[in-house]
Amino acid sequence: MSKNIVWRLLRHNISAGQLAGYALANLVGLAIVLTAIQFYRDVTTVWEDEDSFISNDYLIISKKVTGLGSFFPADDNATRFTAAEIKDIASQPWAKKVGEFTSAAFNVYAKVDFGGNALQSALFLESIPDDYFDVSPEGWNYKVGSGAPVPIIISKDYLTLYNFGFATSRGMPQISEEMIGMIPLRLSLSGNGRQEWVTARIAGFSSRLNTIAVPEEFMEWANSEFAEKPVDDPSRLIIMLNGAGDPAVKSYLEEHGYESAGDKADNGKAAYFLSVVTTVVIAVGAIISILAFFILILSIYLLLQKNREKLHDLMQLGYSPAQVSRYYKLIVAAINLLVYLLAAVVVIVASGWWRDTLSALGIEGTSVWLTLLTGLCVIAVITLLNLLVISRKVRGAFRN
Amino acid sequence: MVNKITLRKVLPQVFRGSEAEAPVNSSEIWLREEVVFSRPGNYIVEAESGTGKSSLCAFIYGSRTDFDGDILFDGEPVKRFSIEKWCELRCRSLAYLPQEMRLFPELTAMENIRIKNRLTDFKSEAQIREMLERFELDSKTDSPAGLLSVGQQQRVAIIRALCQPFDFLLIDEPVSHLDARNNRTVAQLIEEEAKAAHAAVIATSVGNKITLAEYELLKL
Repeated sequence: MSKNIVWRLLRHNISAGQLAGYALANLVGLAIVLTAIQFYRDVTTVWEDEDSFISNDYLIISKKVTGLGSFFPADDNATRFTAAEIKDIASQPWAKKVGEFTSAAFNVYAKVDFGGNALQSALFLESIPDDYFDVSPEGWNYKVGSGAPVPIIISKDYLTLYNFGFATSRGMPQISEEMIGMIPLRLSLSGNGRQEWVTARIAGFSSRLNTIAVPEEFMEWANSEFAEKPVDDPSRLIIMLNGAGDPAVKSYLEEHGYESAGDKADNGKAAYFLSVVTTVVIAVGAIISILAFFILILSIYLLLQKNREKLHDLMQLGYSPAQVSRYYKLIVAAINLLVYLLAAVVVIVASGWWRDTLSALGIEGTSVWLTLLTGLCVIAVITLLNLLVISRKVRGAFRN
Repeated sequence: MVNKITLRKVLPQVFRGSEAEAPVNSSEIWLREEVVFSRPGNYIVEAESGTGKSSLCAFIYGSRTDFDGDILFDGEPVKRFSIEKWCELRCRSLAYLPQEMRLFPELTAMENIRIKNRLTDFKSEAQIREMLERFELDSKTDSPAGLLSVGQQQRVAIIRALCQPFDFLLIDEPVSHLDARNNRTVAQLIEEEAKAAHAAVIATSVGNKITLAEYELLKL
């Protein structure tokens, strides 16, 4: 009861409307910021997937195949990169590293046994240096002569083509990624007057890399064994970029008549666009939050100004600034906590709402804890500043 | 615990430049080399209005610092005291009755006293009621302070000031709105409380002095 005397004095002039306005504005701001962060984090998990070629830091380029060039084998070199060209690309400021695609200079046949039905096809193989993989599929570290099956990464498009094109029309069984990894493959490598069978298995899928890739060590060995002529200059290069969305990359490619693997470049653009949009949204949310913060500061100033005499008189009686500001601090802390909790609910609900949509697109999403922690830090800083303002203002009322 | 309050060449900043004129030149406090209030003891500071009587109280009570010179509590200059230190002093050592009383008008007489006593827990509810009875305020206990007469407010404020342990009781015109009979009742209670606490009483007056039995008179 007696505790309430001070509260009864100090609650005068507290404007519920102003506090509600602040809470609402800050809630909107914080919810926008946190939701944008969470959305960005969810969507960018794609870039962190094991399929590193989707990463916005990589670019695969080739030369344009023009007109009749391909009909004249002598002109074959027109689509290959010379050592000088590669050196020039590597010297560009936006290029961190340049890797070459090594293609197989020998004949490859693959044979699959499907419960008695054998499926046979001519294949081509390529390899790129291991550095260009963020994550190696299991068993990618192939050792020549170990007898282990050769791991192969193929384009996801091939599987799609088989499952939805070939298998459905021919009445063949559809196969999943997991299943295909278990299918024993046999590769016939031939050339240079020799022929050999090796076992292989599909170790992983790339949804963007349009090739059939094997470990570089295997490729070197096979080329040395079966190639009839020295390995040609590469026709495709993989470039590790210093950052996504650099317009200099595009103009360089245009200038030299190079083509980037379309998807890939789009992806870089998408990443760039996404980060721009996210930044804008976060900025808008932050501005709303900052404005809300000023509303509250203004409201506190007004309130403490109106109650200044009472605060002064209470301190004249011996109440310490901490004692008289306690009530205001508790209110602000409670409101901020409430705002944070509601913003957290908004983030959780919103991320649950787009999670289904994203997972239909094959995007896993990520946990919201880091986002919520960020929000907690933001609200903690806001609360701390609020409390500081209250303290200063109350202490200011100590003297006449 | 404060035993001695020393004023060393204290001058309100508003009197800067008029050191040689009245009231400063005739003052027994302003600009004096050393004015000492020590406990126990009663002091009455007599002043005409406009001589800085309430300023003196505010300086000693720490609510204003616009003075030149030094005020020392047991040799320690008060200008260096923190807000927290002042609040502590106001709960344990310095009791103060402001001239304008500064009761909270929306609270009852009892609540105005309680709001002080809950800080110090110095008087029991029964003791507070007994003091109210002595001041003939028992029927006003639950009336909002804003509805009391000025004389009644003055007495409530005096009780409030006594609801704490103190070494110095600073009362700014405590009886300005009281008749002779009430003046005596108030003086009696104050003398009792001060005696029990071995405290000093510093009262100001512009004419109507509190009727303390013994006191040292200082002209401001």
